Amino acid sequence: MHIADGIIATEIAIAADVFSAGVLFIFGKKIPTDDVPKMGLMAAALFVISLVHFPIAGTSMHLGLFGLAGILLGWGAFPVIFIALLFQSLIFQHGGLMSLGLNAVNMGAGAVAGYLIWKMCGFPEKVRAFLAGFFGILIAAFLMALEFQLSGYGKGIFYILYAYVLVAGIEGVLTASVIGFFRRVDPAIFKK
Amino acid sequence: MKHDYLDKYSGLDSVLRRLDPRTKIFAFFSAIVIIVSEPKGELFPFIFYSVALGSLIMAGRIPLKFVLSRCLIASPFILMAALLLPLSLLFSGPIKSDVFSVNMAALSGSILLKAYSALILVVLLTSTDKFHRLLKGLRSLGMPSVLGAMSALMYRYIFILNDERLRTNRARESRTPGRLKISRFKVLGHQAAMIFLRSWDRAHTVYQSMLSRGFDGSFPEFEGLAFHRRDLVFIIGFFIIMSVIRIYA
Repeated sequence: MHIADGIIATEIAIAADVFSAGVLFIFGKKIPTDDVPKMGLMAAALFVISLVHFPIAGTSMHLGLFGLAGILLGWGAFPVIFIALLFQSLIFQHGGLMSLGLNAVNMGAGAVAGYLIWKMCGFPEKVRAFLAGFFGILIAAFLMALEFQLSGYGKGIFYILYAYVLVAGIEGVLTASVIGFFRRVDPAIFKK
Repeated sequence: MKHDYLDKYSGLDSVLRRLDPRTKIFAFFSAIVIIVSEPKGELFPFIFYSVALGSLIMAGRIPLKFVLSRCLIASPFILMAALLLPLSLLFSGPIKSDVFSVNMAALSGSILLKAYSALILVVLLTSTDKFHRLLKGLRSLGMPSVLGAMSALMYRYIFILNDERLRTNRARESRTPGRLKISRFKVLGHQAAMIFLRSWDRAHTVYQSMLSRGFDGSFPEFEGLAFHRRDLVFIIGFFIIMSVIRIYA
């Protein structure tokens, strides 16, 4: 899901960078200074949790937790995801530097979708958490496929979404499990 | 996590190491934009780009093995993108005769070369300066102050959090030995939640300690950044070389 540089058309990558910069500028003005440590920690937590790998179908998968970021941070998930992606790009070369805006838009949209599902759906908490995790991944994957298609990959690229449905399902189950654990062990986390 | 994983070779004395981090951020980012804006299917200019990148690796005294190992880490993403091009066109409709043609090979090849060239520039950037200096350079180049503070705190927290990850990994392995099966979602979910909660408490303690020592949101800097004449010469020279390759090759 981390798009490297040179894969998506330059105009699309630059447009996403400009959009991300605009969103970050607005957030930069609105985020209270007291929230900065919390968001720094959340960015670090997302970064570290994404290092937990587990085997699946002969390969390995790591957690994205965009839905979880949306549930815990709401709209503020975007700058947190941006910073986490910047570190992933610089430290592990996961995703390009010029594609940082693209990756932030994709995954940030997933987090915001997760937040909206968490807030607006009337289902029980675990179901909402599952849906937030599920659509968090699926929306990010859809945007990624759309960007590939706009870069000349053809409509066939959307078949990749079938693979991501499985990943999204796993992510949904894990998000529900994490939220259930928070509720039992430290419910105050939702208010921090 | 070993601290030197972030910037393993950044302590070596080299021409690139002596440059201001802002110079490298600006020059390398510009180079990435120039390289990825090459038209699709163009392979010839990459002969010259690889010479330029090879010269930078030598100037930075970065072991080639290290650069290649970093490229290997990102290879799954890059190779998949290059392979997806013919595959997605194949699944886009009636099979076209050019899907597996030389033209298609050139398109996939140019994707690979662009991606690896950009990757090498990022490896060079992080290997020729301390990570905290790069963050300082980004802040100095106009990164919003809130994001700057957030990234500085994140840089301090990731080591604490990663230690928590290793601790919970050890605990999980001692209770459920063997490979983690996908069927054990609950274990994995609880591990992620536990990492988060422990890290939260730990980082909160660290932050309280910082506040008690007078932390006011700014980070005192003992070593300021300085832009010298050599930085200007490097930016202009590097930009001219990359632009000449882009325009004439």
